[in-house]
Amino acid sequence: MSNNAAKHLFIWGSVLCFVILIVLTVDTMGKLDSRAPEITAEVDAGKKVWHKYDCIGCHTILGNGSYFAPDMTKATVRKPKGYLKKFIMNPRAIRPDAAMPVLGLSEKEANDLMAFLDWMSKVDTNNWPPPPILAQAAAGKAASAGQVLFQQHDCAACHQIRGIGGVAGPDLTNAGSKQPDPEWHIAHLKDPAALAPDSAMPAFNELSDQELRDLAEYLVTLK
Amino acid sequence: MKYQSQKIALNFYTAAVVLFLVQVLVGIIAALQFMWPDFFILNFNTIRTLHINALVVWLLMGMMGATYYVVPEESETELWSLPLAQFQFWATVLAVTLVVVGYIVMGIFPQANIEIFGTLLLNEGREYIEAPRWADILIVVSVLLFLFNCFMTIMKTKKFTAVQGVLLGGLTFLALMYLPGMFYTKSMVKDQYWWWWVVHLWVEGSWELIAAALLAFMLHKLLGTDVKVLAKWMYIEVGLVMFTGILGLGHHYYWIGTPSYWLWVGGIFSSLEPIPLLLMVWDAFRTTRETRGVVSNRIGLYLTVSHAIFNFVGAGLWGVIHTLPQVNKWTHGTQLTTAHGHLAFYGAYVLLIVAMIYVTVPSIRGAKEFNQSKGYQAFWWMTISMVFIVVTITGAGMVQTYLERLLGLDYVSVKANYNLWFWIFRAIFGVGFLVGVLILVVDVLTLGKKPAASGS
Repeated sequence: MSNNAAKHLFIWGSVLCFVILIVLTVDTMGKLDSRAPEITAEVDAGKKVWHKYDCIGCHTILGNGSYFAPDMTKATVRKPKGYLKKFIMNPRAIRPDAAMPVLGLSEKEANDLMAFLDWMSKVDTNNWPPPPILAQAAAGKAASAGQVLFQQHDCAACHQIRGIGGVAGPDLTNAGSKQPDPEWHIAHLKDPAALAPDSAMPAFNELSDQELRDLAEYLVTLK
Repeated sequence: MKYQSQKIALNFYTAAVVLFLVQVLVGIIAALQFMWPDFFILNFNTIRTLHINALVVWLLMGMMGATYYVVPEESETELWSLPLAQFQFWATVLAVTLVVVGYIVMGIFPQANIEIFGTLLLNEGREYIEAPRWADILIVVSVLLFLFNCFMTIMKTKKFTAVQGVLLGGLTFLALMYLPGMFYTKSMVKDQYWWWWVVHLWVEGSWELIAAALLAFMLHKLLGTDVKVLAKWMYIEVGLVMFTGILGLGHHYYWIGTPSYWLWVGGIFSSLEPIPLLLMVWDAFRTTRETRGVVSNRIGLYLTVSHAIFNFVGAGLWGVIHTLPQVNKWTHGTQLTTAHGHLAFYGAYVLLIVAMIYVTVPSIRGAKEFNQSKGYQAFWWMTISMVFIVVTITGAGMVQTYLERLLGLDYVSVKANYNLWFWIFRAIFGVGFLVGVLILVVDVLTLGKKPAASGS
């Protein structure tokens, strides 16, 4: 191949690839709005809060950013919004060993950020992140009605049992030893803050009395 | 050195290596914050912003310095305007200082990052392009002044060589690809779509053009290889870089809310991205093997070939292992990406600029022979440490992928418990890397000033 041929291959090959990229970009831009919910004023304000506090300096979103703190793409799917808001405003009041500092978000900023994260959670990401294989396998092996409810409400997003699950809330490995009374658990599930004043756990009022009892009876078996 | 104005490269090289030192110092703080988040007065996000911005800026300054050296030599004339180059240097230093002060202020007082004229004053909160809009404009002006000066120099003698064509083509492409990062979009998906145009088309596009051009320049200068042969292979390399790299951008569009056809586009083209990098390794070895006679600047050649090898290993191999959507689905956003980022930047660009410094500084200072031992020491301290840093982060990424993504354990517990040893070893090897950089900085500042010791 002559130098001139190699040069022309480089230049025109690059131009061709760039033209294809532009065509794909135009097509993609036309499809993006239908793959995500509408962007309200709160969502936009929340995105600006995300930028203002340089959240991406620690977290990832859509899997991109820093790798110091959890990914925020599906944050409101994995954690209750009430918990997230309290945590973001004062992380160490919720978890004393949290790595996140107090950034001084106002109430409005926190609400807007929740609206943004909620929008983010609903974006069609081609099923990313995929559900963990073991969690799915374990879901098929539930023994009791309470254990099924524990999985359905994704309690493991915040609570660990024998090393598996989140660390946002207390470890439940010995929940039955610490609180052996099912009535305590029922009252706590209905109104966590009444029994634990600084609790960021949301109230599970949507559960029926029978469901609350099933869940409480499962929790007291954890010893 | 044939032309006095080539000396301006020294200013850029000095600023580059000093910023390199800053980058590594804050990198060690960041590594320690993985174990103790409150270790330093500034939070991790500020430290990390400084770490990655220092990297980008020092590499850009290194590329500018290298170009100011290459263009007069290729055009066979003095720079069009030395005062303009000096002004551009000091204006860049001033702008960078202001931006850094802004980051630190924001790190201490997060509320200081207020919105003015629709943009954030101190930090845009977008990875790698955190610099606020006013700084973006200054950066664009600086790069335009730089390009203008280079083009006017070429126009003086109208010697359009292949090396400076690809070099300045790459730099112009680089300047243009900064623009997609300079507007606000309400959608985070569109935000990241355009942000990847900047980040990907820089490091896997325009910067690789610059690397290929500088590789050809260094091989010619060190070995006296026929320019025509070098130019032909350079064109083939950069042609393949663009053919695989432009649409390889698709591997960033798998999971960010973009249509699923990107899984095919990104998967196919990005899998081919290591090919031109392998070709550059072969090019460096072939050229070296075919050379007859003694190479006086052995450390320069050593670094040039090392750059080609680690460009292939870091950017090529460490990238291709997680580029297929089937794999990336599980590894995306884990420490494996950090491992790839570290080795890719080190191999492709850190060693490139360091090699360029060792190839050109002795000639700028008029030293025919110089003491090369410190250069080897710096290289081995940095390279061994970086390899181990990358091994530890790769281990952390594998553990994270398995425990968090496959088994469903919580991010925080994996980071705090299961990966703790990796963080400890990463920090220790970080100190080793710092030793190498300290040797490098001292050597670059004194290189060629003293007569060479006998036998060196």
